[in-house]
Amino acid sequence: MDTYPQAGLDAPGDSTRMAIFEKLGNRPMAVHELAASLPVSRPAVSQHLRVLKEAGLVADHKIRTRRVYRMSPQGIARLRAHFEEIWEPAMRGFESRLEEENPKKTGEKHGKHRR
Amino acid sequence: MANTVDEMVVRKSIRVAVPAPLAFSVFVEQMETWWPPAHHIGGEPFEAIFVEPRQGGRWYERDAKGVECQWGYVLAWEPPHRVTLSWHLGPDWKFDPELAKASEIEIRFTSEGPLTTLVELEHSALERHGAGYQQLHAMLDSPDAWEATLSAFAKRTAEVEA
Repeated sequence: MDTYPQAGLDAPGDSTRMAIFEKLGNRPMAVHELAASLPVSRPAVSQHLRVLKEAGLVADHKIRTRRVYRMSPQGIARLRAHFEEIWEPAMRGFESRLEEENPKKTGEKHGKHRR
Repeated sequence: MANTVDEMVVRKSIRVAVPAPLAFSVFVEQMETWWPPAHHIGGEPFEAIFVEPRQGGRWYERDAKGVECQWGYVLAWEPPHRVTLSWHLGPDWKFDPELAKASEIEIRFTSEGPLTTLVELEHSALERHGAGYQQLHAMLDSPDAWEATLSAFAKRTAEVEA
């Protein structure tokens, strides 16, 4: 089922980690706030945050004694880049497909009409 | 909140020289004629891509042997103006059937004249695919993945233009 076997698809996506990432997309939060809103312990939240931070997805900074986590701009940029790389060629493909349907160009080009 | 979430959207828009109903029809009924063929989700290349024409319908590909592989669901169906689809594939290209973990793609077709249609695509709630991030990281680091996809696409475009 996977198109990209070389991509290192070792670990299945973790739903708690995803929930943490999504919550940080809404606003910056501390570990205890995240733990309070999820059915997992604080150490578990910290563990997920460490993974996300190592992946460059979240960033943290200290406010007095509190450490606050937020989605990192690089993380956001990389996630967006992935989808840009899907839609940019797709929309270009759609555009050139419709050029075949353009009445002004039909006749000039040997359009491959399917119907 | 709006600020951060707003960044989790990819927007694309193009203007095409056909009426909106034709643009809509080619988008949803003839997707296999323009979708980059390397972006298949099943194990084999797709022969056809289907968007079932109703809210709640399935969006799926079918390969030459008849094996189907689902991409998402139809969340809104308003021909020829708008279609909304769910996207269930994280950066790891694994299908997760849960709607709560799926992002959304809205495509709007706005008539600007008899032969001009503005096509706007908005892929939102990308953060729902966050869990696959490590795989994304691995994938982007692998030169084979998207480079191969893009060069295959370039080749196909050249064939169409020829």
